[in-house]
Amino acid sequence: MSTKLLEVKNLVVKFGGVTALDNVNLHVNQGEIAALIGPNGAGKTTVFNIVTGYYTPAEGEILVDGKSMLGLRPYKIARAGLARTFQNIRLFGDMTAVENVATAADALNKSGLVGSLFGVPRSRRDEKASMEKAHELLKFIGLDHRALQMAKNLPYGDQRRLEIARALALNPKVLLLDEPAAGFNPQEKVELGELIRKIRDRGFAVLLIEHDMSLVMDISDRVSVLDFGQKIAEGTPVEIQNNQRVIDAYLGVAEDAS
Amino acid sequence: MAKLNLRDKFGDWWDGASPFSRTVFRILAVLAAYAIPFLKNPIIDTPETSFNSVLFYPLVMFSLMAVGLNVVVGKSGILDLGYVAFFAIGAYTHAILSAHTGLNFWEIIPFAMGFAMFAGVILGLPALRLRGDYLAIITLGFGEIVRIIAVNTEAIGGAAGLTDIPGPSSVFGIEFTVMDPRPYYWLTLTAMLFVIWGVLRLSHRKPGRAWEAIREDEDVAEFMGVSTLKYKLWAFIIGGAVGGLAGAIFASNIRSIQPELFTLNLSIMILACVVLGGMGNIWGVILGAVLLGYIPEKLRFLSDYRIIFFGLLMVVMMNIRPNGLLPRKKREVVGDKS
Amino acid sequence: MDFSILVSDFWALTIDGLVVGAIIALVSLGYTLVYGVLRLINFAHSEIFMIGTMTCYWVVQRFGFTGYEDPLPLWKFAGLFLLFGFAAAVVSGVAAVILEIVAYRRLRVLGASRLSSLISAIGASFFLVEVFQKISGAKNLDFPRLISKDTLFEFQNAYITQDKLLVIVGAAVIFYILNRVIHHTKLGLGIRAVSQDERASILMGVNVNRIISYTFLLGGVLAGFGSAFYMVFYETTKANVGFLIGISAFTAAVLGGIGNVKGALYGSFALGLFQQYTSAVLGYNWKDVVTFVILVFVLLVKPTGLFGEALQKARV
Repeated sequence: MSTKLLEVKNLVVKFGGVTALDNVNLHVNQGEIAALIGPNGAGKTTVFNIVTGYYTPAEGEILVDGKSMLGLRPYKIARAGLARTFQNIRLFGDMTAVENVATAADALNKSGLVGSLFGVPRSRRDEKASMEKAHELLKFIGLDHRALQMAKNLPYGDQRRLEIARALALNPKVLLLDEPAAGFNPQEKVELGELIRKIRDRGFAVLLIEHDMSLVMDISDRVSVLDFGQKIAEGTPVEIQNNQRVIDAYLGVAEDAS
Repeated sequence: MAKLNLRDKFGDWWDGASPFSRTVFRILAVLAAYAIPFLKNPIIDTPETSFNSVLFYPLVMFSLMAVGLNVVVGKSGILDLGYVAFFAIGAYTHAILSAHTGLNFWEIIPFAMGFAMFAGVILGLPALRLRGDYLAIITLGFGEIVRIIAVNTEAIGGAAGLTDIPGPSSVFGIEFTVMDPRPYYWLTLTAMLFVIWGVLRLSHRKPGRAWEAIREDEDVAEFMGVSTLKYKLWAFIIGGAVGGLAGAIFASNIRSIQPELFTLNLSIMILACVVLGGMGNIWGVILGAVLLGYIPEKLRFLSDYRIIFFGLLMVVMMNIRPNGLLPRKKREVVGDKS
Repeated sequence: MDFSILVSDFWALTIDGLVVGAIIALVSLGYTLVYGVLRLINFAHSEIFMIGTMTCYWVVQRFGFTGYEDPLPLWKFAGLFLLFGFAAAVVSGVAAVILEIVAYRRLRVLGASRLSSLISAIGASFFLVEVFQKISGAKNLDFPRLISKDTLFEFQNAYITQDKLLVIVGAAVIFYILNRVIHHTKLGLGIRAVSQDERASILMGVNVNRIISYTFLLGGVLAGFGSAFYMVFYETTKANVGFLIGISAFTAAVLGGIGNVKGALYGSFALGLFQQYTSAVLGYNWKDVVTFVILVFVLLVKPTGLFGEALQKARV
């Protein structure tokens, strides 16, 4: 069996009195593209907010490459190997594209502020490494020609891809993508699918939240389905497409109406 | 944007200039700054107060403090309304240590900066965990508390303050006397150049990126592996050190200090300098400090109304030009080849 | 430090604490209401209160009371109090609405950063203080004694006076009316809707700008009444009077959980009482330091306040 890079066990999350996630189990294996789908409000983004340390779960365990992430501040979790993008793009708008990526790449070195001030050799080396990595990633997503443009001035699609590059700069064990295809036209969705495959082939495992079913079914190795905070199914795309509970969950609205 | 033409022209020239011409330009600019006190120009002279003393206070003093506060407010986006507290700590450190120890001004400077940095840690460690508007109120309170403590503590002079503070001992044959403000100007200018050097270096490297990321979106910065608490704390410490340095120089110049010199108004004035000039851009901030320091001195009838003017300016600037007169990094390279 | 004073003067301190708490509460509600709809601390709210005190002063001056007369007969006082109380409420309310339009609205429409709004508010606050500094000649403006402060009756070492009764009873009436407004009027419904979810409110046809204006108006009116009670009780004002009462009121709002109306009430009375007890022990000079320490402590230990919602992490 392949190793589990991200493992979420028996996750329970409550906001006020409401249970947002109820005993959810998930994992992402090395070298795979896993997808997390479900109707709106099923708790998908909450899963991301939990595993990246923004909220604390009421119960459960979160393991990255076997190490527990519970109680760690988000920046530590990011350095430990979980990097994410956001449903509504959240770039550092007033920074250039390359600075956006370099900021994340910086997290991997231990150079401190005093070293940077006096330009000690290690800090120079780390600085160079961050910038090189940032440029290399921009090239990888095809944005190197816009490296010195402000992130906020980039076209929508470039902003989405820049978020991916920024997350990759953390050298994550698992890349968490939150609806990366939102707002894309069919052509762009195909390109995105190829990009995600390329990312997987580079050795990053991917966990994908996405509403576009054809994209999900096309690129995912394994799909998990959330509904009302519970995992109702897990399997290959083909299995999921034929799962009656999943079909019911997605058609739930129509059922109520009839 | 026609207004930015000069800036862009300069920027184009700068980008195209060889390292040699850049160095020459830098040297000339620094020399010009040092030579300002020798200007005898009726147009820039100020009535009532000699131009040279205006040059020391408020011009270069405001500039130094504004450059320090800019690291906190402009770079990192942390609204600090109690900056005057660090200035006060520096001033009191010099006044107290010079009276009770044998140390001279130059030996006290590291202590003044050190205590202010320490205060930055003490205030920052708890306060920086809070969100922006709460933090603003905490820092506001901190500034007032430092003043109230000074007023109520007889051991450091209470409301009457401290007197007979010595000036710096002479260096390179330059005497620091009560009569001549020029040496203080040069001293503050030198301090400011060091600070600018340091801040610029940091700005273009990892710490600068971390600060900007925090300013843009603190949560996301944290998700991208930036230890936000650490870098916010550093911003506070650096801002504090600069404030402490400015305070010690200030005390050595005016020779007697009272708590009433360190009111909230001063914090707000420095903040106005940062806001007017362009948050995050060191040159903009200095421009702001020079304008806000100079205009009320030149137009004396304005000086009574300066706080009214500063307050109004902050509202107007935020509404019509939130990035200030010289916004940070307006220039970007637009390449569209693919 | 003398703790026995807490026992011997307990009721006196408690009565004063309630009076101070009632005044703080009227200011504190403005912070909390605005925070509820805008998720923003209205920094200049303390100046709205200051404008109220100035209005009281000028109205009373205008009617020829300059400070050396005997207290008025009760009916005459009642008339005058209603006059300057409502004048202060109207002026403060209008000032608050103008403040919102000048300092906040454009920034909100542009979607400017929090920092911009804060700086704009602080600028407005300083502008107002300095303008009134100039108008008042930077002096303390002393209010005439309009109501007798002789003891009505004594209760366990506490001297109950007319002005203290007026503040407590008057504030109670205002709180009752406020409660009706929030829970039984369309305006109250709108305010609660916008506090819950601004976007959904827009979708439901709520005119958010109007609700925000009314919220500022309501906060200003409350601060105006607060300023009238303040003037009767303390009998003096100055241009920067708002600063310390603003810190107290803000602390009270945080203590009760900012954004929460009931919380602001409880927080204010708790703070008023605590201020009286601690100043009795530590000395009056340290009152504001104590307030500030409470503020820091609450923010660090329980930033949601005693009754608040989780605002530290409102949403991602």
